[in-house]
Amino acid sequence: MNTVDSIFKLPALVLEMGLTTAHNALGEAQRVVEKVAGQSRQHLTAPPLNGPSDLDTAVSEFMNHIARIARYTPKDAAHLPAASKEILDAAKKSFGFLDFTSPAAITLPVQFTLSFATLMTQSALRGLVTYDIMGSTRIQRLMTDFYDMFTELQVFVGLEYKEIIERCKDRLKEAPDDHAIRLELGETYVKCGLYDEAVEVLFQVPRDDSHYALARHEAAVALYRSGRFERAAQADVDALNSDPSDERARCMLWLSVQKLGGYPSFVPESHRMEMKVGYEKPTVEFEDIAAKIGLDKTSAGRGVAIFDYDNDGFLDIVIASAHGGCSLYHNNGDGTYTDVSINSGLDTCVNGFAITVGDFNNDGYPDLYITRLGFYVGEGQLFRNNGDGTFTDVTKNAGVKVWGPAFTASWVDYDGDGYLDLFIANNLGGLFERKTPNRLFHNNGDGTFTEVTDEAGLKTIWPTIGGAWGDYNNDGRPDLFLSNGLGRSQLYENNGDGTFTDVSERAGVTALGFGSPAFFWDYDNDGWMDIGQFVWSDHEDVIHTMKTGHGPADGNPMRVYRNNRDGTFTQVNEELGLTGCWGTMSGNAGDFNNDGYLDVVLGNGSPKMDRMEPMILLENDGKKFHNITFAAGLPFTGKSHGVNLADLFGDGRMSILVAAGGAYPGDLLTTGVYYPKRLAGNYLNVRLVGVKSNRSAIGAKVALTAGGRTQYRELSGGSNFGCLPLEQHFGLADFESIDSIEIRWPNGLEQRFENLPLNSTVEFTEGQEGWKDVYAEAKKSAKKRSKKTTAQPA
Amino acid sequence: MQNDKQKFGEPLLDFTLQQVSGGEINLAAQLRGKKGGVVVFWSSTCSHCVRYDKYFNAFAQAHPDFAFVAVASRHGETPEGVRKSIAERSLEFPILHDPGSTVAKQWFTQQTPRAFLMDADRNLLYRGAVDNFKYPDDPEFLNYLEPAISQFESGEAIAKPETASFGCAIMSVYYILPKAL
Repeated sequence: MNTVDSIFKLPALVLEMGLTTAHNALGEAQRVVEKVAGQSRQHLTAPPLNGPSDLDTAVSEFMNHIARIARYTPKDAAHLPAASKEILDAAKKSFGFLDFTSPAAITLPVQFTLSFATLMTQSALRGLVTYDIMGSTRIQRLMTDFYDMFTELQVFVGLEYKEIIERCKDRLKEAPDDHAIRLELGETYVKCGLYDEAVEVLFQVPRDDSHYALARHEAAVALYRSGRFERAAQADVDALNSDPSDERARCMLWLSVQKLGGYPSFVPESHRMEMKVGYEKPTVEFEDIAAKIGLDKTSAGRGVAIFDYDNDGFLDIVIASAHGGCSLYHNNGDGTYTDVSINSGLDTCVNGFAITVGDFNNDGYPDLYITRLGFYVGEGQLFRNNGDGTFTDVTKNAGVKVWGPAFTASWVDYDGDGYLDLFIANNLGGLFERKTPNRLFHNNGDGTFTEVTDEAGLKTIWPTIGGAWGDYNNDGRPDLFLSNGLGRSQLYENNGDGTFTDVSERAGVTALGFGSPAFFWDYDNDGWMDIGQFVWSDHEDVIHTMKTGHGPADGNPMRVYRNNRDGTFTQVNEELGLTGCWGTMSGNAGDFNNDGYLDVVLGNGSPKMDRMEPMILLENDGKKFHNITFAAGLPFTGKSHGVNLADLFGDGRMSILVAAGGAYPGDLLTTGVYYPKRLAGNYLNVRLVGVKSNRSAIGAKVALTAGGRTQYRELSGGSNFGCLPLEQHFGLADFESIDSIEIRWPNGLEQRFENLPLNSTVEFTEGQEGWKDVYAEAKKSAKKRSKKTTAQPA
Repeated sequence: MQNDKQKFGEPLLDFTLQQVSGGEINLAAQLRGKKGGVVVFWSSTCSHCVRYDKYFNAFAQAHPDFAFVAVASRHGETPEGVRKSIAERSLEFPILHDPGSTVAKQWFTQQTPRAFLMDADRNLLYRGAVDNFKYPDDPEFLNYLEPAISQFESGEAIAKPETASFGCAIMSVYYILPKAL
């Protein structure tokens, strides 16, 4: 940390408290004035097709309009009149709903001032926090990235990029030397996947112009993505010759030369880098089987959920897509998958983001909740599984229709009534945006839900990326950890009466950061749930990690909070060897090498087109985590937002599924399925069926004892882009037998089982003796079905 | 599991739509006297579709025995907008306007570009992407539609009859929200 940052640290904390207090006070003042004006606050439940209908949304939208106008207006006096007109139009669009003739309009000046003030205090708070996390040296480029992304995602998702292209072309006609606009045009082409057009435009930026280095680097991105690796390398050499400090160009150059078999002679030594991470000795290696099994979907890196939608015993897969519909893949039981999206109902769910699986109506068929566009605003959808291969959108009838920047969602039975409730984590939907409250919906048990967020006391000021549920204090009730995207993380203790208490300070989990999805796990097998929190780092910190093997001293690696068994946690990632900084957007824990310790896979990236980084596989040997990514045969994925894992074929080998790609239309990569080349140890897969408890048994705890060790799992209702199968995989190394399995069902019933078979997949039903061998029965049923089909006349 | 509304080897629904450059086109009539045909759901504002301008322009010449039509179904797509793109991009293939996305819905299509290969009786042979959206220079480039056409022509089974959806959504709430710009 440099001196400026150290000096700033303490006042920053004071300022943070001041801003939070000011925001809360201003918010209270807003409520009072609204009460006087006879207004009441309603959450948005439907898309605002006619623009904003409340002052807070209008003020935010107007500010976002201004940011976009500033972005796309040439910086000279001649364009001021046009910009002024655009600002006026934006004001009309944003505030058109206001009725100035109403008597309540008398309060408008005060309301407008308060609304603007609360927005500014929230924005200032986020700016302050960003500074606090990044420090003075890295903040400028990061803020530029944020400004770019948050002002244009709306443009791209609404397919308005054609208008940007036309604006840029018009500008270049009147000012051919405006190379800032030429760079903008080239970058827009890259984002659209129009690489030839991008290269042509970007190569027109002359060497003596200040935008030359960036233009060459963007051209390199276009060339790389269109498979012209040598030209891409040459373009980045030009970029580095002009700006030797550009680490992004150095990284892209490294990436290009990997395709050429090493650095060509035209690359000067000073421009080269080496990959210093990912080569620790692995215990298991992987092969890509996506094409072989029919899962090579070209994707834009969204959620992947693994579940058995038709109850045939085999694990099926659904993959969301940033632009098109969801794809549903049926597991044929013979090691292949068939795309059965058409007519499933899920194919109609476009712009999907995160997927979570839970049987909300306890009918035995797992249902889905899908969020849409967590970096903008969207409408989540609840799909009821009809049990016949189709899904019906029941969002409206179920009463969970919401409009907001939902990032992830999770199923949880927080009140233990045997029905799954729904939690939705809301991020930020724009550059100037006030926090959209997270939502907790209580399941009424009749197919409908009632929102209980306020009563539950789950209010937060921070934009939330991940909400993970787990029983951290072993009182039998699920608690909530919020991983906030820009701010401090929070832990809420479940009081058991429908309310929660914020225990973050006491628990010691309030570190600042760009939080990504989080999860509860017992990485050290002590019977107390620890917390894993993924953290997003900026591009320069990622490149630093690649080059040196560890993140910068003031970087933000993935966090592990060890449960101290007394209501507090200790952050232990450094002592566990987790020092690498990655742009982690998702990830999951699972025992890949069947050694009885949970390993971790990180899905990394960012919307930026030049930001390519690998997914990371960290192997836990019981003491430390080792980065084995490349040594284990995993590729440099580029972007791997929706990363997930499962024993897809019931053979004990945990495959890693990666829905690769990013937010922009051109950022398409292909889904990878990485399958272990060998069975590294014995295993047992456990599935649970709730009877009194919720049918999915989410929240159940399983303790398996074998080889003198006990491993603990708690069934999670999702906290990530994708959803792990509810099946629990236990690695059993070279143990020759399993001593016992103890299950604590969400409703409190405890059962113990012995004499379990090694290397199989078993299903327990709440309250029943014995278990079912899942695949033995599934294969018998498949055989019967196939005989029946063969017997039918052609 | 098989979907019961659009099956491989069974006829796709016929349609009759207005061509944006004038005149009405019926799919069954287009296929008469041909070995088969390709229907591509397409949009004038879809950046993915732009990538295939040259390929679609050259399709009729490369495959004289196959009918080819593009169907513009995207919500908000207008014949005027399509005609503007035809002029700007020198598009030479027939483009039909599908108001209300009716045909897209009947054909279970949610995004552009999405291609359907059929025989002369409209029996479905291939459904999905044109390729894996990589450039031909890229070692990882995979063509999907062309091999399917070749396999059909030579009487072979289609090795990969289906590829998954990707592209620009035909209907998205973001098209009907107030414009961002």
